[in-house]
Amino acid sequence: MMNFLRQTYIWLDERLQLRDLVDFLGKKYVPVHRHSVWYYFGGVSLFLFLVQVVTGILLLLYYKGSEELAFESIQFIMSRVQFGWLIRSIHSWAANLFILAALIHMFSVFFEKAYRKPRELTWVTGMLMLFVGFGFGFSGYLLPWNELAFFATKVGTDIAGVVPVIGKPLLEFLRGGPEVTGATLSRFFGFHVAVFPGIFTILLGIHLLLVQRQGMSEPLGLEKNPSLEQKRMPFFPNFLLRDLLLWLMVLNLLAILAVFFPWELGQKADPFAPAPAGIKPEWYFMFMFQTLKLLPAHVLFVDGEVLGISLFGLAGILWLLVPFWDRRSARGEQNRFVNYLGLFATLYIILFTILGYLS
Amino acid sequence: MIRRLVLMVLFTAVPLPGQDHVDQCLQCHQTLEDEPSTLFIRDIHRLRGITCAGCHGGDPRAEEMEDAMNKQTGFLGVPKGDEITGRCVKCHSDQERMKSYGSNGRTDQELLLRQSVHGRLSVSGKERLVQCTTCHNAHGIVSVKDKRSPVHPLNVTATCASCHGNPAYMRNYNPALPVDQLPKYRTSVHGRRNARGDTRVAECASCHGSHDIRSAHDVKSSVYPTNLPATCASCHSDSVRMKPYGIPTNQYESFAESVHGIALLEKHDPGAPACNDCHGNHGAAPPGVQSVSQVCGTCHALNADLFSRSPHKRAFDQRNLPECETCHGNHSIVAVTDRLIGSEPPAVCAQCHSPTEYPAGYTAAMSMRAIIDSLVTLEEQARALVEEAEQKGMEVSEQRFALRSVRQARLESRTTIHAFDKAKLQEVAAKGIAAARDIHVQAQEAIDEYYFRRIGLGVSTLIITLLVIGLYLYIKKIESNGQQR
Amino acid sequence: MPETNPSGGKREFLKVLLGGSFFAWLASVLYPVLAYMKPPPQAGVEVSSVNAGLVSDLPPDSGRIIKFGTKPVILIKTASGDLKAFDATCTHLDCTVQYRADMGVIWCACHNGKYDLTGRNIDGPPPRPLAPYRVTLQGDEILVSKTT
Repeated sequence: MMNFLRQTYIWLDERLQLRDLVDFLGKKYVPVHRHSVWYYFGGVSLFLFLVQVVTGILLLLYYKGSEELAFESIQFIMSRVQFGWLIRSIHSWAANLFILAALIHMFSVFFEKAYRKPRELTWVTGMLMLFVGFGFGFSGYLLPWNELAFFATKVGTDIAGVVPVIGKPLLEFLRGGPEVTGATLSRFFGFHVAVFPGIFTILLGIHLLLVQRQGMSEPLGLEKNPSLEQKRMPFFPNFLLRDLLLWLMVLNLLAILAVFFPWELGQKADPFAPAPAGIKPEWYFMFMFQTLKLLPAHVLFVDGEVLGISLFGLAGILWLLVPFWDRRSARGEQNRFVNYLGLFATLYIILFTILGYLS
Repeated sequence: MIRRLVLMVLFTAVPLPGQDHVDQCLQCHQTLEDEPSTLFIRDIHRLRGITCAGCHGGDPRAEEMEDAMNKQTGFLGVPKGDEITGRCVKCHSDQERMKSYGSNGRTDQELLLRQSVHGRLSVSGKERLVQCTTCHNAHGIVSVKDKRSPVHPLNVTATCASCHGNPAYMRNYNPALPVDQLPKYRTSVHGRRNARGDTRVAECASCHGSHDIRSAHDVKSSVYPTNLPATCASCHSDSVRMKPYGIPTNQYESFAESVHGIALLEKHDPGAPACNDCHGNHGAAPPGVQSVSQVCGTCHALNADLFSRSPHKRAFDQRNLPECETCHGNHSIVAVTDRLIGSEPPAVCAQCHSPTEYPAGYTAAMSMRAIIDSLVTLEEQARALVEEAEQKGMEVSEQRFALRSVRQARLESRTTIHAFDKAKLQEVAAKGIAAARDIHVQAQEAIDEYYFRRIGLGVSTLIITLLVIGLYLYIKKIESNGQQR
Repeated sequence: MPETNPSGGKREFLKVLLGGSFFAWLASVLYPVLAYMKPPPQAGVEVSSVNAGLVSDLPPDSGRIIKFGTKPVILIKTASGDLKAFDATCTHLDCTVQYRADMGVIWCACHNGKYDLTGRNIDGPPPRPLAPYRVTLQGDEILVSKTT
């Protein structure tokens, strides 16, 4: 058995020069310090994305993306297909955990200023992946074609329609018409299983390549203080094994969530039914939704919603481009302004999310 | 009474000496011996001091015809169309005026008439269908209590029938309306007594009202299905009124509690039977003992059919037992339950089938009850299991669907029971029992699946934990190796 | 890998633990996935419209109950060959109705409720008409769908 594996390895090595890769990985080290724990969230996000790919493909075997059959096909998956309930619940739970892990990963990178030179592109691709992740979430939410999703999509696309200048065409583009209909479902289905995965995979490839090329970033303080003894750990196999260990635990968590808190399907969407009480977007959109709700109708002759969306858009762009305007961190200096900004954003998101669920 | 009336007629016919004015109209017209003047002599209006001029205008004191009937001085002539009612209303809608004549009666007759079915326009389109004079006559109007009145209880049927019994006339207004109400009425208990001079029994106006008669399809009509029981009860629940006839007065109370009464009076289902649906309306009479099942069978057709073919039909007829009523009661028919069949009360079978006298019927009743009970129990169990599975979050819409067929079998079994044939009942029940067993198995599978998921999770958690421990130890090992190096 | 660990028994144990639990884990992941991929006995779902078979299979002046999602629907071919479909749940007490060629009506066995061939309740206890479904033909195939 071992002999066979070894021979296979040698056969491959002769053709692919695997040794180089192993050497490269073996020489790669992961810094060990009190903030090391944050390094794992990137890996967890990656794992959850892989789970999504696998369960997503499995769901595609039975899902039917049309107004008449979407709800029924999910019902079918949950009731008649063996382990269909498991696959669907894991897909839904993993989607949420993915966004959570990605957000934690993003904020940890932000606070440690790991985006600074030379890792600007890693940051940008990561942020773009987060945006695509939101797109995954938003489009996937509609696919079961249930009541809550239907109205949440209606509200969500309505908000997109408020965007200055391009709002109306954008809304019609998203909905595939002036209203949320079966056309919207077809569109969202297409985005969810073809467009977004394509974009995401390219971004992920660049992101991982850059991470491997440049290695893990170290916090500013450690770099500056060479007197401290720097601990490090080989990426392969030590860090990778720890990653795997954590992934296994996450997988177990997913199974527990799927069994004890199966994702509900609710009622089939009825475009002519009155909107049910308590339409809420997915939790990661809640802070934006709540902000728009609390904004007055008019702020200084500007429509409140327009203002809110413009501000969020601006903030997003600012956030995306932080490596380019945060010169101090790039020079290896502390930048308190960025810290305060990050703190403000974190607190704001947490506060408004809580407010959203309380109201 | 009659003597006084005759005296009054005599007194008024010959003008009294010393009376300060003389009704010249009447004097002349009496010499002509025309009908109006002849009738007017006894008219309640004349007796109260109203002259011809009260309705026709003109000057009753003028000697010359030209002066008396001068249109310039207010002579109106013979009123036509709605003008007729208009003349009556001048006084009859004026409460003060009516009081001055000593009447405290109602003054809204014209309003009611206008809202009634008779308030429609006639075929000419120029006037209302019915004027006051249509029923009350124009001259010779007397109190409704006077036997000469066309609306006296003994006369009103003929008055109404003068139009309503005339097919050629009724065709103008409602071709679908029957015209045989009076002949039917004469066959009813009410009609026969009325013909014998009983003024206390119901006639047309007792049920339909007088001025405010509405179509039976009008929800405000006193004979609209949901109002009808109260209309009948206005007499039949009156113990004083019913005393001479020696019949019970609790029918309304019993009916109101019955399955029919609840459907009609509480749920306002106009399809539910009111009094007339079993007793007839114009030909009202209690249904005959042998024909009860036919009456009930107009709605409960299948039950009646099965019963008529069953051995019970002959047995009931021989013993003169009313068909449906023997088991179900009459006015107080309550919603049936399966407990009506069997050996112990409230089951009714043992009323006749005593275990000693008729053991065959007694055991048949018991075994039929057992069949139904097993169906009911199996349905309950299956339903409970499906609900349990549903509560556990399992998808059981298929089984929910299948439960319908069990319920259907149970409902059908309640009908089939009227054949009093065990084999037939078994056949119907078997479908439901088989379906219930299938559902039982499937729902149990769903519940098992629920536990399987938990066990499966436990097993995979154990495996993952072992793998995690293994990996952890492995990492420890290679790291201690590294340090050793 | 060179033998550096003196306690060979411990090493063996770890090997078994790792290898065994890895394969067990693999099985616990692959089993659900493979079971999931096996098509269930009733393939797919159809609810907003249902294929009700061939016109030629349904003789004139007859009816058939078809399953429409979780509801029964009665499909009738009249004597003149017209196709009609109605909700087959009696509006009285939810029994399933059937077509009676001898009476020419839709009939409920439970309480003798009758509906005419436009679905109207014409006799017996049913309080309301039966809701109609749309019948369309695709070639010889009958398609029953919800009226919208």
